[in-house]
Amino acid sequence: MSVMARRPLVRWVVPGAVLAAVVGAGVVASTQAGASPDLPPRTAAQLLVDVYTARLDGASGTVVERADLGLPALPDAIAGAGSSTDLNSLITGSHTLRVWYSGPDKARVALLGATGESDLIRNGQDLWIWSSSGNTAQHTKLGGAAQNKTLPVDPSQLPVSPQQAADMILSALNPTTSVSLGPTTTVAGRGAYQLVVAPKDTRSLVERVTIAVDAQKRVPTQVQVFAKGSGTPAFKIGFDQVNFTRPDASRFQFTPPPGTKVNEADQDQNKAPGQGPNTLPALPSGKDQKQLPAQPSGQDKTMVVGTGWTSVLVARLPEAAAAPGGKPSTGAPASALGDLGPLLNNLPTVSGSWGSGRLLQARLFSVLITDDGRILIGPVSGQQLATVAGDPAAALK
Amino acid sequence: MSAVETAIAPAGPAAATAVVKPPAFSTRFFRSELWLIFGRRRNWIGLAVLAVVPIVLTVAVKVSPPGGDGGGGEAGSFVSQITNNGLFVALVALLFEMPLFLPIAIAAISGDAIAGEANLGTLRYVLSVPVDRTRLLLVKLAAQAVFALAATLLVAGVGALLGLAVFGSGPVVTLAGTTIGFGAGLWRLLLVCAYLTVCLIGFGAIGLFASSLTEQPIGATIAVMLLCFASEIMDAIDQLSAIHRYLPTHYWLSFVELMRDPVDFGRLVPGLLSALAYLAIFGSAAWARLSSRDVTS
Repeated sequence: MSVMARRPLVRWVVPGAVLAAVVGAGVVASTQAGASPDLPPRTAAQLLVDVYTARLDGASGTVVERADLGLPALPDAIAGAGSSTDLNSLITGSHTLRVWYSGPDKARVALLGATGESDLIRNGQDLWIWSSSGNTAQHTKLGGAAQNKTLPVDPSQLPVSPQQAADMILSALNPTTSVSLGPTTTVAGRGAYQLVVAPKDTRSLVERVTIAVDAQKRVPTQVQVFAKGSGTPAFKIGFDQVNFTRPDASRFQFTPPPGTKVNEADQDQNKAPGQGPNTLPALPSGKDQKQLPAQPSGQDKTMVVGTGWTSVLVARLPEAAAAPGGKPSTGAPASALGDLGPLLNNLPTVSGSWGSGRLLQARLFSVLITDDGRILIGPVSGQQLATVAGDPAAALK
Repeated sequence: MSAVETAIAPAGPAAATAVVKPPAFSTRFFRSELWLIFGRRRNWIGLAVLAVVPIVLTVAVKVSPPGGDGGGGEAGSFVSQITNNGLFVALVALLFEMPLFLPIAIAAISGDAIAGEANLGTLRYVLSVPVDRTRLLLVKLAAQAVFALAATLLVAGVGALLGLAVFGSGPVVTLAGTTIGFGAGLWRLLLVCAYLTVCLIGFGAIGLFASSLTEQPIGATIAVMLLCFASEIMDAIDQLSAIHRYLPTHYWLSFVELMRDPVDFGRLVPGLLSALAYLAIFGSAAWARLSSRDVTS
C-alpha cells in the first residue's frame, strides 16, 4: 500500500528527466561553440602570412554580427525607420547575414530581417541592392577601376617568400601594434587559431582585437573587438555556419522581379557607407579596424591627427548642420546630422581653449562635435579628443 | 482518496480483458475525440473567425493596394507581393494570425481537453470505460495536432483560393528577389503550414498540461493565452535577449525562412527542436499529473 501511495510522485521523475535532457543537450551544444580544439602549433607570424596569402575561391555561409557600441538609441529616421533589414542598421544590435562569395567580383550578401531581407549582389560589373520590404532594387554599373579596388591585396605586390611576408607585416605593425597568438577556438564548428592584435598605445579605447583564422582554409572566420576594460566584445562578426565550396554561378544572377521599382544609380553617387563596392565582401576581415580614418582623406576639409590606434579624424561639418549647441538645425541638407539635433543637445558639453562642444562617448570610440562646426572621431577617450581639438593641426584653417 | 483511486486503477484493464477482449489497435476513441472537436458549434465559430482574416485581408488589399514603398511594416515584404500573386494572401494571413488567432484557437482546444471533460463530469466515465490514462492523453494530443493542422490549412487554403481568385496567379517572388514557379510556391506554402503545425503542437502540449491541472477549462485556456502573450512580450524586449530562444513563441515567425532563396532548412531546426522540447516536457508532465490525479468528476 505504501508503494502505491508513493507511486504518483515517482511519475514526476519522467518530465523531470525530459527537462534535464533538454537543458543538458542545450548546454552541451552551447559549450561546443567556443571549445578549444588541439591544433598543430603555429606562430603568430606564420598565421599572418597565411591570412595574407590564402586564396578564397568561394564560400557560403551564415554570418552573425553583434554590435554593442554603447551608442545612445538613435531616432528612427537615422536608424533606418525601424526596419530590421535596412543595410545601414548594422551599427546597433545583432544581425544575421547569409553570404555567398565566389571571387572578388561575384558576391552576394543577404541581410535577414524578421520578415524580410535586403540583398546586395555583385556580379561582374553589376551591383544590385534589393529590398524585399519596399519591393525595390537599385542597380549600379561599376567601372573598371572599382573592380581592381575590391582586391584586398594586389597579387603583384606580394612578397616572394612567406618569411619575407611575415617580416613585412610585422615590421609594419610593430611600432603601434602587438600581435600574439591566442588560445584556439571553434568557429562555425571548425577549429580555428586566434590572433590577438592589441594597440601598444594605452590611450586607445580598443583593448584588443581577436581574429579567428580557420585551421584548414587559413582565412579569417571571426573578428571580435574588445573595448578597454570589458570582457565581452563591443563588436563581433563571424561565421555561424560556413561552407568552403564555390557557390553556383546562378546564385549571383539577379533579375528584378516583375513589379519592382528599379533605380539606376551612377557609380559616383553610390558613396553611402556600407554600400560602396569596397565593403562588398562582408566576410570578416582582419583589416576592418583601420577603415575609420582612411576613407575621406582625399578631401580638403578633413584631417587625421595622430597615428595608429589613437589617430583622430577631424572634419568640418556642412554649414547648416553645424549648430549643435543651439536649436536643431532646420535647414539642414538631407544629412543625418539635421535629425540628430535633439539628440546632440542631450550629450554632455566639454570645453577647452578651443571652445566648447558636445561629446558622444561610445565604448570603442568618441565623437566630439564642436560649436565651431568641426567633428572629431577617434578610438580614444573624450578627454583625449578634447585635447586633440585644441591641436593647431586640427583647426582645419 | 488517492490511495483508493490508484488501488483501483491497475485492476481496470485486467477486468476489461476478462470481459471483452478489445482489439489491439482501435481508432474509435480517436475518431470520437475528433468528432468532439470538429462537431462542436463553438469550434466551428472559432474556425470561421480564423477564416475571416484572409477574407478581410483580400478585400482590404483589393480596395487599397499597397503603395510602392511597402508600408505594411513588418509584413511589408509579403503585402507588397499580394497584388502580383494571390498565394501571398495565405502567407500574410498566417503572418497576422500566428501571434494571436491561431494560438487562441489551440489554447481553447487544449485547455478544454481534460479540464472540459472533468468539468462536464465525463472524464470519469471515459476512464471507467476503461480507457488507459496514457492512451487518453495520446489521443487528446493527436486530436489536437489534427486540429492545429486543420486550422493552419484552413487559413492558408481560404487565403490562397480567395487570393488566386481575386489577384490571379503570377510568378512567386521570394524574399531574395528571385522568382520561383507556381508549383514550387505552393509547395513552400504547404511546408509553412507544416512548420506552423509543429509549432502549435508544441504550444498545445503546454495547454494540455494546464488542462490536466484544473477542472475549469476556461482557466486553463486563459492561463495558456497569458503565457503566450507574456512570451511574445518578452520576445520583444531586447534586454531579455539571453532568454529569447527558450520562449515558446520565439521561433514561430521563422516560417518566413521558407520564403527565402535558397531555403536554408537549418534555420528551421531550432524552431522544430523547440516545439519538440515543449511537447516532450509538457506532454510528460501532463502524463505525470493525469496518471497520479484523483478523478472525482
